[in-house]
Amino acid sequence: MDGINIKQKIGALKTGELSALENVERKLDLIEKIDGEINAFIEINPDVRAEAEAIDRNVREGRNVGKLAGLTIGIKSNIGVNGMRATCASRTLEDYVSTNDAEAIRRVKEADGVIIGMTNMDEFACGSSGETSAFGPTENPAARGRIPGGSSSGSAAAVASELCDLSLGTDTGGSVRNPACHCGVVGLKPTYGLVPRQGLIDLAMSFDQIAPLSPDVYGAALMMEVIAGRSPSECTMFDVDSVSYTDDLLGDLNGIRVGISPKFKELTDDKIIEVVDKAIGNLGDLGTEIVEVKLPNLEKGMPTYYLIVSVEFFSATRKFDGRRYGKKIEEVCGKEVLRRIIRGRHISKREFKGKFYKRALQVRTLINRELKRALKRADVIAGPTVPKLPHKLGVEISPDEMYAYDYLTVPANLGGLCGGVVKAGEIDGIPVGLQVQGRQLEELSVLKVMKSLEEANSNKK
Amino acid sequence: MAGKKEKDIRKSAEQIVKSFTEATRILPEQKEMYYGLDSTNIMRPDGEPSSRKSRENFSRRFRKIMPSSDKEGNLRVEVAEWTE
Repeated sequence: MDGINIKQKIGALKTGELSALENVERKLDLIEKIDGEINAFIEINPDVRAEAEAIDRNVREGRNVGKLAGLTIGIKSNIGVNGMRATCASRTLEDYVSTNDAEAIRRVKEADGVIIGMTNMDEFACGSSGETSAFGPTENPAARGRIPGGSSSGSAAAVASELCDLSLGTDTGGSVRNPACHCGVVGLKPTYGLVPRQGLIDLAMSFDQIAPLSPDVYGAALMMEVIAGRSPSECTMFDVDSVSYTDDLLGDLNGIRVGISPKFKELTDDKIIEVVDKAIGNLGDLGTEIVEVKLPNLEKGMPTYYLIVSVEFFSATRKFDGRRYGKKIEEVCGKEVLRRIIRGRHISKREFKGKFYKRALQVRTLINRELKRALKRADVIAGPTVPKLPHKLGVEISPDEMYAYDYLTVPANLGGLCGGVVKAGEIDGIPVGLQVQGRQLEELSVLKVMKSLEEANSNKK
Repeated sequence: MAGKKEKDIRKSAEQIVKSFTEATRILPEQKEMYYGLDSTNIMRPDGEPSSRKSRENFSRRFRKIMPSSDKEGNLRVEVAEWTE
């Protein structure tokens, strides 16, 4: 990351040692140079230099600046940024310009983050590979020729290739954790209801969360401090203040109980398990206690998740009927989006006596309870993020094979828990991420465990 | 071709329903969980409406993007096809 980490960079920006404009220029140069190959950005903010200069003026004149002062931020193209396009990487909304800032964006701007552009993604966040965008697939900068993961493909690839300092993605069933894993960066899915969703174009309203991606754990913690906390205009949020995550990141891990489940081994490739087990072993060396937890219904999360998502996505897309600001979705969307719309309609039509959707919400309760029970026995649960390595770009796989990428990430969304990903190692040069899941609103515990592992890995280099 | 594609997608929808039904057949009845939250905040904490300026701004922005309007500037809607 320009040779320095996020903590050092924000320090340099706040003292004027590095100007925000200089930071922006470096990123724009790099985007010009390599984004033709990576395809992480859909649109660059035309006012980015002026916004950086305004922050530099404040620094020069000794005014207070925000927590993100001068850091360049990439924003997934399904989050509203006033004056920029929120395309959802779809022909449906390719010309739609946001008239508002999403609440999370308002907070980023208030903290003096400089929005550099809108990032590529799977169309309407329907995908786990970054290949379904109407603006073309995104390359994996950490493992060239392979998928970067999705759906926040551009947000992860932009951070991994240093085209921006931090980014925001969205996580509905793993859409931040999955690409963080494949691209070797840090991603954190917040507890459902901790970050405002107002201004996000939803995939499934009961799962979606706006979430940070960063080259290191400190950056993700810093972004969380900015975007988390109550919003009076939302009814599905916790009534809590944002807390400081960065102050206590390097705490003692002694006595922290890390839960592991044999179920993970059943569902995951052996080579990935090998890397993940080694990382968990390192956590043991750092003073944590490793305990086994029971997750007997883990694999039932997948069909339950896809049933709920199909119904909620069908409902969410009814507004894209081709009037005024977009094209009719069914007429221009890609295969996977159409598949989910038709599936949602089909299931909704068959829904009687609460047979499917309502039943799925019951299974959701069961999985939620199961996870809560496991998280009574352990402080966090550690395991693999995705069960297999990313496939090669352009290789056709079946929908079921694609959905299988989400097996290990959907439970946290079903339970409304928080979960983060940090790089654990590599297999033949392909990054493998460790997923750390925590109780509701216990992001700090998750971040602390991730930070300790990050430190241990960097000390070994 | 389009008919075949839709047929295949319907088949995959059936498959999702089938695998869900099979996976959850023996699970006990539970209370439904709509969100990952135990309760939702349905009232603004200050109990006050938005400011006049904020409402006017919203109104202006909304009129700018609304699908169509009548002569008085009221929003015009029609029943969506999929409801039929």
